[in-house]
Amino acid sequence: MREDVHARAEELIAKERVEGISTAEQEWLGQHLRECARCVGAANATEQALRSLRTLSVPLPRELASRTQFRLRLRAQELQVREPRWRLVWMMCGASWVAGAATAPYVWRGLEWIGHRLGVPDLVWQMGFGVWWALPAIVAGAILLVENAGQSVRRNLDDAA
Amino acid sequence: MLLATAERSTYLFSTLMADDKKTLAQGLRQRDPELLDRLIEQYQYRLFRYLLYITGNQERAEDFFQETWIRVLERGHQYDVRFKFEAWLFTIARNLVIDWQRQKKAQSLDALTDPEEGRGFEIVDEKAESPLHLVLQGEQKDKVQASLEQLPAAYREVLLLRFQEEMQLDEIARIQATPISTVKSRLYRGLGALKGLLAGGAA
Repeated sequence: MREDVHARAEELIAKERVEGISTAEQEWLGQHLRECARCVGAANATEQALRSLRTLSVPLPRELASRTQFRLRLRAQELQVREPRWRLVWMMCGASWVAGAATAPYVWRGLEWIGHRLGVPDLVWQMGFGVWWALPAIVAGAILLVENAGQSVRRNLDDAA
Repeated sequence: MLLATAERSTYLFSTLMADDKKTLAQGLRQRDPELLDRLIEQYQYRLFRYLLYITGNQERAEDFFQETWIRVLERGHQYDVRFKFEAWLFTIARNLVIDWQRQKKAQSLDALTDPEEGRGFEIVDEKAESPLHLVLQGEQKDKVQASLEQLPAAYREVLLLRFQEEMQLDEIARIQATPISTVKSRLYRGLGALKGLLAGGAA
């Protein structure tokens, strides 16, 4: 028998397990295996390898589930406290942006008037307007940074423990 | 008649499955503690085995096991009912391991996950006895352990997902965030290498 026939059979043996083969391929392989002891050996070796893999067991560490459940409960409590706080921060930011957008023309005119009264260059009061506009984002960013810093410190402490 | 009955029962089964998943998603969104406890118990063996296969280290697998469930708690609202829960769970676990490796070594994700570019995904000390070996040793002392240890972790991972978890190729591809062709290629190579190793050859 030609070498490429065995190669095809071996390819189909693997393909059957990995992704499945068509009926025509199944028939061809079945026919070939009836005639070829070498490929029967290859099919058995594949089956044996998979059987060994499937029967291999891993011992679970003691109380892994209960330890995890305990940690999860603590984290859930933490989230229960933290999340409403965050919701409040975001709501306040949102309300602040809406109010900012609605009052922007008046604030612009007010700052312009103050700028002219004080005799400061236009760029100064315009920058002041920019800061006023970005203030909610700056506050939210600062809160996020503090929160993340706190989290990474906690994580490092956990790792060290 | 028989076909109609079969179709109806398939429909009923899939509806039940969909309902189960919806209930599961709702519970995850609400962070239902009882549901989470049940899930941890139900999936503990499979998740731990998966983590052990990809990290090759028991302690790390334990750490990642807990971190994975913390993520499930925090991001339960992200679970998509179209997919199996275990596929989502394994994706979270896998991403945590990859993030951790990224932090430890400044390497690209490809280099970490593709065994063709070096060993990849391995955190083991070459000189020390393999932690995976130590874990498996007590259970079975045959060639399979030794063979698995010699396989790159990315091959171990696909072999586990396909032949132990019995996942479909597209599910594995989604977990690994790779094309199906890559999954197939890893499976063929992994299977070939495992066969070779079991027969006494080299991977």
